[in-house]
Amino acid sequence: MNLTNANTAIVLDSTADFPDAQQQHANWRVVPLYVNFGTESYTDGVELTASEFYDRLRAANETPTTSQPTPADFAAVYEELAGYERILSIHLASNLSGTYQSALTAAQDLGDGRVRVIDSESASVAITLLALAIQRRLDRGTTDEEIDTLVRHYLETHGLLFTVDTLEFLARGGRIGKAKAFAGQLMHVKPILSIRGGEVIPLKRVRGNRKAIQEFVRALDTQTEDTPALRVGIAHADAPERMRQLEKMVRDLRPQAQIEFETSLGAVIGAHAGPGTVGFFWFTDDEQQSVRSDL
Amino acid sequence: MLNGDLELIRRLADAALASLEANRERIDDLNVYPVPDGDTGTNLTMTVRSVVDAVDSTSAANRHSLARDVTRGALMGARGNSGVIFSQIVRGAADVLGTVDASTIDSDATARALRGATDAAYRAVRRPVEGTMLSVIRELAEEAEAQTAHGGPPVQELLRLLVRRGEEAVARTPEQLQILRDAGVVDAGGAGLLELVRGVAAAVRGEPLPEAPAPTDGIGFEAVHQELSRYRYCTVFVIEGDDLDRTALESALERIGDSLLVVGDPTAVKVHVHTDDPGAALSIGTQAGTIDRIEIANMHEQTQQREQRLLAAVPDTPPATCGIVAVVAGEGNRRLFESLAAPVGPIGIVEGGQTMNPSTADLLRAVQSTDAEQVVVLPNNSNVLLAAEHAAANADRTVEVVATTSIPAGMAALLAFDGTRSAAENAAEMREAIAAIATGEVTTASRDVELDGVSIRKGQWLGLADDRPVSAADGFEDVALAVVDRLVEGSRALLTVLVGADAPPLEALLDALGRAHPDLEVDVQHGGQPHYALLLSAE
Repeated sequence: MNLTNANTAIVLDSTADFPDAQQQHANWRVVPLYVNFGTESYTDGVELTASEFYDRLRAANETPTTSQPTPADFAAVYEELAGYERILSIHLASNLSGTYQSALTAAQDLGDGRVRVIDSESASVAITLLALAIQRRLDRGTTDEEIDTLVRHYLETHGLLFTVDTLEFLARGGRIGKAKAFAGQLMHVKPILSIRGGEVIPLKRVRGNRKAIQEFVRALDTQTEDTPALRVGIAHADAPERMRQLEKMVRDLRPQAQIEFETSLGAVIGAHAGPGTVGFFWFTDDEQQSVRSDL
Repeated sequence: MLNGDLELIRRLADAALASLEANRERIDDLNVYPVPDGDTGTNLTMTVRSVVDAVDSTSAANRHSLARDVTRGALMGARGNSGVIFSQIVRGAADVLGTVDASTIDSDATARALRGATDAAYRAVRRPVEGTMLSVIRELAEEAEAQTAHGGPPVQELLRLLVRRGEEAVARTPEQLQILRDAGVVDAGGAGLLELVRGVAAAVRGEPLPEAPAPTDGIGFEAVHQELSRYRYCTVFVIEGDDLDRTALESALERIGDSLLVVGDPTAVKVHVHTDDPGAALSIGTQAGTIDRIEIANMHEQTQQREQRLLAAVPDTPPATCGIVAVVAGEGNRRLFESLAAPVGPIGIVEGGQTMNPSTADLLRAVQSTDAEQVVVLPNNSNVLLAAEHAAANADRTVEVVATTSIPAGMAALLAFDGTRSAAENAAEMREAIAAIATGEVTTASRDVELDGVSIRKGQWLGLADDRPVSAADGFEDVALAVVDRLVEGSRALLTVLVGADAPPLEALLDALGRAHPDLEVDVQHGGQPHYALLLSAE
């Protein structure tokens, strides 16, 4: 089957941090997770935008919690997309959230094999960068097999680094994993973290925000080349000046790269990583290579 | 009559304290409500200790004055929310027991004392919340009243029943209070109260104290999942005066914080408030009377410490392969070294530095008492390097020496440390880390000398960068700035300033630094080292 943007839809969840997805791509939808302050519940990115969330977090004397969408939430969106022959539903790492499981349950309940649910094994802009790579192929026409190859290639090669102001938020949400060993209170120690196979992994420790951002750029320097195929994404939790610093350094180092996506970390990811978090994502999308490996 | 009473009450108070102390840390870890300051067990213990002290030192001649001394001991020693509420429980019970005429305290008197305690505790709190210490004391009173309604059991049996009811009441607190349910814990204050009753019951029955559960038993990792207080400082003090108006104090204090408790009588009240402005709270106190027993605790720090303890309970960290021995001068620097190492592996600190070089034996002892199969030694001074190498050669385990020649270099090395790697791997990472930083010092010249074309007079400030003189002058700021200018050549993001034991004030220097290097992050830490006013590094 030839998959195109006319017959194939992409469904993300709100942790992809792309709230305008549907406005920008007619075949895209976003299913929101829930953010709860006390007994009040809001849909992530719909009833509670990122900036409203951080305002509230600053003012509130309470810790937000989050919950995954229900299978019914996914079923409703899949049904709304009845006109599409294929739905690619791409979600937050199944190790980190039950979102993937909800989507899978809804897809199986539909029972027509129309929906393919993909575990990104990652979070935030990493999900969006993968969806954008898929969309480029849909724009020119592609196949399920080519998408499978792309997803495998993406999981193996995409880069993701992030740093948090404090490990407290990851710890509270139970998502700290091996990074717990990197908790350091004095001397502005910042952990450089990644997500691999759905687990938060500590890579090293540096001191201060500028060193953390330099570390991101150093990783880009050693792991990529300067080509137009290099796609970069940046996300921040209430720290726009850090994002701008990082963006400038990326432009200096990799002038040919496309900074494809810049965003604010939404409420759900923000609730688990905490204010001050900066995430850095990259993927070299060499379409020719991906087509060749499919032959 | 009172002699018998005193002896009994001393024994009971000691037993209550011992029972609480055995559970103190576990109760600290339960503490999520009203704010997770992780100190309920500690606060209750201090409060009970104050009661024990009052009982030990009392010269009361009758029950009535003994009750008054106990009440005052509890009030004066009350710490934290839980301690203050507990002091009211003591007060309510003592008010009843102080008027008992019978020679021994029986089940009826116990029931009336618990009722008095419950009423006093509920009165002390502006907005009583169920699922806390309050519910536990209330249920104890209800149980005692039910048991004694038609001529109850002897007091030994009543206490056994009260412990059982207390256990049930504590177990029920998560059903009553959402935040406990979310955190997967029972109420800390209630749990503390139960341990006190358990201690008293064991003493009255002549039984040994049951063994306390281990501190982390039954605490889910979810216990970290809780709200932080909006306010930073837990502020507690006593106001003494002639005609203190609790209501007026409450309304004044309510404006500056939360978790407010104001208890006591017109001559002495205890204040507990969480606020960002402890000074304002104290002024409100001094306007009303004389203040005493002031305690101010930074709750954010307490929360962090508890988080560390809870994190330590998560069993996913493999035992360290590699540890660190570092030679450090200055108590501030020592603390910084420990904080950098603590999360990632064991560290042993050997005191020493420029004029106090540790011996090979000192270093060898530290290496061999490190809790790891392999060790990296950071001498942090060129004069210590040789002794470190000797220690390494003679140790009973694999030792790498990373030739750090300054405290800041040692810190940079430590940042690259990971206890799960081998000493050799760590040493390689550390050498790379120290190659990437520049270090310098500001000290005073000990004699007239000409070095590298810089002429230096004794007593002047002397600045060195990477061990070479950069500047010597009478102005501290000029010398320090010259060193910084040298250190930040090339692209540097972070300047670390370790302030020595006898450094001059830094305000002017930091202002000048901010103007000269606006993009530089500057981290100023108290090092406390002798001889060097400043130790500096740029990375």
